[in-house]
Amino acid sequence: MSKTIDIQAKTRQLLNSGQVSCVIGYEIGPRGRTRPAFIYQPDDAERMVWNRSCTHNLVPYVSDKLQSIEKNTSTGETETTQQQVAVVVKPCDSRAINVLTAEKQFSRDQVYVIGVACEGIVDGAGFGREDNGNLQARCQRCSEREPVVYDILIGEPQEVEAVDDYSDLDRLTDLTPDARVEFWLSQFDRCIRCYACRQVCPMCNCPTCLYERDDSLWVGMGIRLNEKRTFHLGRAYHLAGRCVGCNECERVCPMKIPISLLNRMLEREVEAAFGHRAGAAAAPSPLVTILDSEDGISWTS
Amino acid sequence: MSDSHGDDVGNVGGLNSFEPKILGFLCSWCSYTGADLAGTNRLKVPSNLRAIRVPCSGRVAPELIMRAFDQGADGVLVLGCHLGECHYDNGNHRTAKRMPVLHSLLSFVGLEPERLRLDWVSASEGERFSKIVEEFAESIRLLGPCQWRPKALQWEAENRLINQKGEMSMPQVGR
Repeated sequence: MSKTIDIQAKTRQLLNSGQVSCVIGYEIGPRGRTRPAFIYQPDDAERMVWNRSCTHNLVPYVSDKLQSIEKNTSTGETETTQQQVAVVVKPCDSRAINVLTAEKQFSRDQVYVIGVACEGIVDGAGFGREDNGNLQARCQRCSEREPVVYDILIGEPQEVEAVDDYSDLDRLTDLTPDARVEFWLSQFDRCIRCYACRQVCPMCNCPTCLYERDDSLWVGMGIRLNEKRTFHLGRAYHLAGRCVGCNECERVCPMKIPISLLNRMLEREVEAAFGHRAGAAAAPSPLVTILDSEDGISWTS
Repeated sequence: MSDSHGDDVGNVGGLNSFEPKILGFLCSWCSYTGADLAGTNRLKVPSNLRAIRVPCSGRVAPELIMRAFDQGADGVLVLGCHLGECHYDNGNHRTAKRMPVLHSLLSFVGLEPERLRLDWVSASEGERFSKIVEEFAESIRLLGPCQWRPKALQWEAENRLINQKGEMSMPQVGR
């Protein structure tokens, strides 16, 4: 429980000193599930918790909160470089902070990052289904126990041995192309285009989504299978070199589409081709930058 | 929307032979001019290629390529300026980085990787242009019709997502 106490103390201190106007963290909801919390008053700091069900990635809320704070404060004062929002992050979420600052969604000074030394999140978290107590698959693969970026670290990071295991991907790539088409059609077929995956994603921050336009040129908004496939592949492509693997998209999917397979495949590809790991440093995706030098390019189809 | 293939392509080799539909995105500064040169030099270029002139190969968004396959293209050819010769300095750098990633994504979900090809053709390389298109058309001809779109339509029909009136019904809930 000490992490909970530390987070509460830090929240109280940040709000009391006026350093930030909002702290984004976790609380226990009325139904006993851990859920995101937005704390504005020092007295509310005791609502904050840390447990092994804190699965949500809170980084997508940062831009929203910064914008609403900007709107509500008077325009006369210019305190744009002041830290305005504090956010509790796990190591995976902290990489999202790096990606978004590299993409200039907000500046690093605007956010106070409360990093938590994560010990993994249990399966079924967020839905009140933590019964079996196993770690989520992504946490079993993860060896990052310390956030890559933080202003204060809560807890002691412990060394863990974990192998980035791609066996689930390899099982798919071993199939014939026809079998893979079948597999993915059967997955995308279930999509109801609720866009939950997009809403929850810290990287999906376009004001108007390309795939939700009335005047769509490239893909329709319907639930025809080919449109759904194009939506998912397009979204996966947009996340190439940016996805930090928080796995929120797959967790919130009501139809259990294995979106993370696509994201992890591209993560592996981008790492192999460009040596880039999303969010490991505040650097933009290699897909939006130019080539380093014109030597050594050996692209052939 | 027709889901059969090659029906509106001139059936060059007779009724039973398959003629692929190939979409070519040609950079206006190099490859399109190169294609022009091939024309003025009276070089033979397969008629399977439908050329789309784009300002730069960097303009070719991956969405456009996915759209092409989604609409029934059998192959997509992206031609740009050689690296270092881009009219916009580094537009083709972006293409060079994107295409391999798109390539692996599409082949991961089951599209034959040979159906997408990126190459560089300068304005003076009419011969190279005709050679590339010839090669590409031949390789697609050997692969046969692209099953990307028909498979999706077939899957939909088999899972009875569409009733006889053409209305959609919602798929069954997974959870």
